[in-house]
Amino acid sequence: MMKINEIRNDLLGEMYFDIDHPSGLKILIMPKAGYTSTYAIFATKYGSIDTMIETKDGSFREIPEGTAHFLEHKLFESEDLDAFERFAKTGASANAYTSFDRTGYLFSCSANFKENLEILLDFVQNPYFTQATVEKEQGIIGQEIDMYKDIPDWEVMFNCLRNMYHNLPVRIDIAGTQESIAQITADMLYDCYNNFYNLNNMVLAIAGNTTVEEVLEVADRVLKPVEGKMAQRKVIEEPREVLADYCEKKLSVATPQFMLGFKEEWDTPERTAKEEITMEILLDMISGPSTDLYKRLFDANLINNNFGFEYFTGFGYSCVLFAGESNDPKTVAEEIKKEIKTFRENGFDEKVFERTKKKLYGRMIMGMNDVDGLANNMAVSYFANEDVFTDFETYKTVTVEDVREMLDKTLDERYSTLSVILPN
Amino acid sequence: MHFENIADGVRLCAQSTDKFKTCRINISMAMPLDKDTSARAILPFILQRRCAKYPDHTTLSRVLDELYGASVSAGVLKRGETHILSFNLTAIDDRFALDGDTVALECVQLLCDMIFDPLRDGNSFPADIVAQEKRLLVEAIENEMNDKRRYALMRCEELMFRDEAYGINRLGTVDEVNALTPEEIYRAWEDVLREAVVQITMVGSMDVYPVAAILRERFASIRREPTTLGTKFISKVREPEYVCEEMPIKQGKLVMGLRTGMQNEDDNTVPMRIAVDIFGGGTYSKLFSVVREKMSLCYYCSAAFFASKGVVMVQSGIEDINEEKAKNEILNQLSLVAQGDFSDDDFSSSIKSLTDSIISNNDTPESICAWYATQMLRGSLKTPEEYADELQSVERQQVINAAKTISLDTIFMLKSNGEAADDED
Repeated sequence: MMKINEIRNDLLGEMYFDIDHPSGLKILIMPKAGYTSTYAIFATKYGSIDTMIETKDGSFREIPEGTAHFLEHKLFESEDLDAFERFAKTGASANAYTSFDRTGYLFSCSANFKENLEILLDFVQNPYFTQATVEKEQGIIGQEIDMYKDIPDWEVMFNCLRNMYHNLPVRIDIAGTQESIAQITADMLYDCYNNFYNLNNMVLAIAGNTTVEEVLEVADRVLKPVEGKMAQRKVIEEPREVLADYCEKKLSVATPQFMLGFKEEWDTPERTAKEEITMEILLDMISGPSTDLYKRLFDANLINNNFGFEYFTGFGYSCVLFAGESNDPKTVAEEIKKEIKTFRENGFDEKVFERTKKKLYGRMIMGMNDVDGLANNMAVSYFANEDVFTDFETYKTVTVEDVREMLDKTLDERYSTLSVILPN
Repeated sequence: MHFENIADGVRLCAQSTDKFKTCRINISMAMPLDKDTSARAILPFILQRRCAKYPDHTTLSRVLDELYGASVSAGVLKRGETHILSFNLTAIDDRFALDGDTVALECVQLLCDMIFDPLRDGNSFPADIVAQEKRLLVEAIENEMNDKRRYALMRCEELMFRDEAYGINRLGTVDEVNALTPEEIYRAWEDVLREAVVQITMVGSMDVYPVAAILRERFASIRREPTTLGTKFISKVREPEYVCEEMPIKQGKLVMGLRTGMQNEDDNTVPMRIAVDIFGGGTYSKLFSVVREKMSLCYYCSAAFFASKGVVMVQSGIEDINEEKAKNEILNQLSLVAQGDFSDDDFSSSIKSLTDSIISNNDTPESICAWYATQMLRGSLKTPEEYADELQSVERQQVINAAKTISLDTIFMLKSNGEAADDED
């Protein structure tokens, strides 16, 4: 008997179905009344940080950097028609992406949904790698790696992560390097595929113009039950200190770009929803567009509209990143650090805290319109052992005291680093 | 869809739906692309960050936070040879407000305060604010070079359209912006209120009548003299021009500008859209499936159709040594489309794919707003479904005929000067 749970949120007036499919796959379906399109994502918990593969005896063996992304490119191919050619016949728009901690294959369509779903489930379950096609792809991905080296936002971030982390694979480019991808072979791709693409390590999330019956009709027919389990991630040792506290690189940009990172240390490898939300509130209270710091930096011509922050977290890593464009990145970094100190000494205004929460509430609601966003969030929440409404419920429980405690544990300038891109 | 004329040359279009959790409003104000472009380009940024009631960006930002994080964004667009000042607002739908607040209507008032009642200094804008916004706009213009893909496209447009209004950068130039005075900008603001063709597009569940009443009242005090807008379509074929620039980059960017021979925006536009799509649109297109996938000549390669000016821009990222091969192959693929050398499958894939993405516009408030806002200069608006119907009725021969009229005008190549820094890891 298949287990179908309904996950609801009454305030939002939303619900979705959470299904443990007999094949081993978790299937999440949010039917949306009034929508004409449907978005589906078939994702595996396998991203660029997974540079180790678990062997039968439980030990781990290294795989080349960039393998997850490489595999994503290759999976579109098959012996006859590739996935793009198959989707072309239905009119769907299909794509795929690799992030630090997952790989997703997706389509959106406003017609022929069942046919599209069948193509998606089928091509992801049927790898076809040969040495010849692997070699051809090495050239294409080599070009992609080069292209990213011309993109300043990308470079400023990876330089910051490389400054921060000694060992964690989050420091490496998602596509790997020319040298690392040169080591990839067809056999290696099959090994990784078998380890990470078993249905127990994956999720299918769908939102839009569809029903449970429609999805299961295809899933029951096309999904092939497999032996397997959720792939295990290895905890990698990482020193508390940053590797370097400053770096700069020249690129053809007009205004210098910067990223200031604060490395954190925690006892557990992953942050909870409450920790993430508390940090979002904390950062918005320190440096959001409504703050004194923002006004000071803006009025002193030290930042422009592209100033922002991110709580950057994943398995084994968490850090705060402030980024922007400035003719004087070092002064901006000093000002941010000073402001953090001021908050440590003076604490937080309850009224500002409530205003920030009100904004967050509105922004979470605004983020629940689009089927692509909803389906992606359903998939990501599942991998984090949450549901798509967890944040929405959790934010209510955050207190100003939580924010103060979060600051006590984080944003320590002794573990900060500044990455700068200068014009050449 | 609700349509209403609010004032002379001002149209309100409202789609009433409770499908979304937000209310979304776009106000688009269109003027000709001309010598006043810089003075107008800075306006939306001056207006969006403050107003008479909330005189600095921090105060205004806090007001927006209290309105459940409502977000306002302003920008300038170029569509054909019109210059459009665009204001967008997104707020939560009133049904999610916690204390019975009426968020949507308050947001409309606020947006109107920004546009109609800015912070003034006599008959001018305050000098310190103008200085700050000039600094930001100059940085924005200079930073357009950071994204090499867009930069190469922009350079190709500058060259190709240097004798046409279309060649004017929507943000103006650094020199022009630096030379702007507060008085000039203020005059540009008065001109826009008086002369711009305006469309307000709204998507959400709120009642349209109070919104229309607010807008009507705001426009009532303005003596409207809407301008006439138009775009020159050039069909004359000239000897293609080639320009190459060097920069310290790793991957080269090749942009090819082509003219379609269209006489106006509606001239054969639907068959042309399909022709360009088969040439360089979806994954079934010639540029993707042959030039990129089969021949591995570039990392990306696609063609974009700008019906509002009747031009096609091909963009690709290539290794510098492949430049000749890529250029020749791109042109070869275009001539294959013009010879009818594409399968019935390609033809039906293109129609299905274009239809699918056009129909999908119905599912986000942003895309619904954009769909109608881009039609602001038309007398009557087409729904996505109506446009999709037109696609279905196009015949293969019409597509071939359309492709035959496309010709090369300008090639711009951005290549490496050999100085791109390697990683100092």
